[in-house]
Amino acid sequence: MKVFATIYKEFLLLIRDPGGMALIFIMPLALVIVMALVQDAPFRDYQELRLEVLFIDHDKDSLSAKVMTAFKASPNVNIVLKSDTIEAKRLVQAGKFKAAIVLPQNASADLRRKTRQLISNVFANFGLPAETDSAELPVIDIKIFFDPAIKSNYKQTLSGAVEKIAANVQTEWVLDELQQQLSEGRSETPEKITFDVSKIMRVNQRFASENRYQGLMLNSVQHNVPAWTMFAMFFILYPLAGNFIKEREEGSMLRLRLISGSQWPVITGKFSFYFLICLVQFLLMIAVGIYVMPWLGLTKLVLGSNPLGILVTACSVAMAATGYGVLIGVYFRTPQQALSFGSVSVVILSAIGGVWVPVYVMPEVLQQVSRFSPMSWGLESFNDLFLRQASISAILPNVLRLVGFALVALGTSVVIHKSRTVV
Amino acid sequence: MSTCAVRLNQLSKQYPHSVKRAVADVSFEIEEGAVFGLLGPNGAGKSTTVMMLCGLMRPDSGSISVFGLDMPENGVDVRKRVGVAPQEIALFPMLTAYENLFYFGRMYGMGSSDINSQIKRYLSEFGLNEKKNKIVATFSGGMKRRLNLIAALLHKPKLVILDEPTAGVDVQSRNMILGFLESLTNEGTTIIYSSHILEEAERICSHLAIIDEGKLITTGTRASILADHNDCKNLEQIFLKLTGKNIRD
Repeated sequence: MKVFATIYKEFLLLIRDPGGMALIFIMPLALVIVMALVQDAPFRDYQELRLEVLFIDHDKDSLSAKVMTAFKASPNVNIVLKSDTIEAKRLVQAGKFKAAIVLPQNASADLRRKTRQLISNVFANFGLPAETDSAELPVIDIKIFFDPAIKSNYKQTLSGAVEKIAANVQTEWVLDELQQQLSEGRSETPEKITFDVSKIMRVNQRFASENRYQGLMLNSVQHNVPAWTMFAMFFILYPLAGNFIKEREEGSMLRLRLISGSQWPVITGKFSFYFLICLVQFLLMIAVGIYVMPWLGLTKLVLGSNPLGILVTACSVAMAATGYGVLIGVYFRTPQQALSFGSVSVVILSAIGGVWVPVYVMPEVLQQVSRFSPMSWGLESFNDLFLRQASISAILPNVLRLVGFALVALGTSVVIHKSRTVV
Repeated sequence: MSTCAVRLNQLSKQYPHSVKRAVADVSFEIEEGAVFGLLGPNGAGKSTTVMMLCGLMRPDSGSISVFGLDMPENGVDVRKRVGVAPQEIALFPMLTAYENLFYFGRMYGMGSSDINSQIKRYLSEFGLNEKKNKIVATFSGGMKRRLNLIAALLHKPKLVILDEPTAGVDVQSRNMILGFLESLTNEGTTIIYSSHILEEAERICSHLAIIDEGKLITTGTRASILADHNDCKNLEQIFLKLTGKNIRD
């Protein structure tokens, strides 16, 4: 009954504090929406890359036609034609375009000559009739000018695409030249075989999870909603620790210290109430992810197929967040100390826990450090559930870490609280 | 024959980084049903003594026994029998008077009907019944002080410790509080009354102790102390005679 009385008392205090209500419910919702919107573009950069690229065609022959065709079929590159290399460089330098591809004059003719020379030399080497050509032919120099501010992954994607197109064209032309030289001198010319190099070998990309959520990737909503939900849940320390210290300063905590057997119910009651608040926050933020995000032009939050796992993870994160809030409230003696330390520590834990940017893009050292952040445990669990369709047993280690963290924080709080009340 | 409610024996306490003891070998006994005035200038050691009595502070040496139970070993049992009205208003300002009292009643382990009957009794007695559903933050200083006292009495304690219970209240409220305390002794409740207002102490205390610089200067019944210092007109003069006229910090 003492615990329920404390829960009810906390409820009354909260509903009479509009500022506290806003801090607990409205600010986190605003935060998750803003962060999902802000980080939508960077997430699309990684996954839905589409570059505006200039193409300066000095060749105007079959090679340039092949390059154009290949890029038109590419989902990642949008080709814009330009005739002047200097103008193209200027536009790229100014950041108007990410890159400019310059196909040199006579590239097709040079490639044809090079392939003919290659096949002729092979034939001659095997004693077959062929016109040998020992001339040192220049390398066909396809230039790509990059915007200095281009991200490394953009650069690699574009270079890879150009190299792939060049390799395919070379392969096709070598085979064409081979057929042509083999047919030379024959009375009957066999029908030319057209090779489609993509039918020889292909890279088949699939997702490891095999279920109806296959293909779902980490995007702004899938990352930001659980990440900032946890951040908001950990920020429960602000009202919780503030409430603890306020009660100490106002004197009501002194009266409770004077009542025997009230220490444990007071802490448990506060813990239980704010634990429930954390769960309400979680439900609201998830609802925003599902119903509000699509309305803002973002993707809808997909929860996966393990609602029990989500509930277990949400409860364990709520426990860890509330336990941490209780510890801060009990340990520090002034609101300034508690709220300054609490806020900064939550920001640090969230940064190393992968809330701001996913852990996999962090330096190796930080990735190691992130293992010690409860927010990393929670986020990993949510990613496992939402994206990898993990089972309860798969998320159990992280859940146990969160619960352990909560119990240690709560236990320490009780020890400190009791140590300040002698009897 | 009266029994001993509180016994302090050679009680001492020294704070860390302090050169002298806040309480030095203080010993006295309080009879059950007495109103015991604990008097002394600022920094005399009254609050430290009270805190040790409540179990909020552990003495360095000496012993405390309340209703025959040694502290701090039996602190939990002792506190069930003790009600404390601290000098500060120990209430939740954003709860109503009723909500405050009901919550503290619950924390004392009382049942709903018991709490409600106690709340009804005391709110009427202290003239707060009409304000029971008002937020405490809107109360005047006197109303808060009365409510603070009620919160200490809810669980029907046998020993009530009052630290400046009339600080900052008007004459009417003070008269109401003192009148109530006088009636409380008729029910057999023991009261420890710590105050600077010697006129009040002279009015309601049956026994007195004056401490200064941590040491017990005198103790006894009010009548015996007044008789021992018959050159003084009242308790205030005796107090000044025993503790001096120097300003204390």
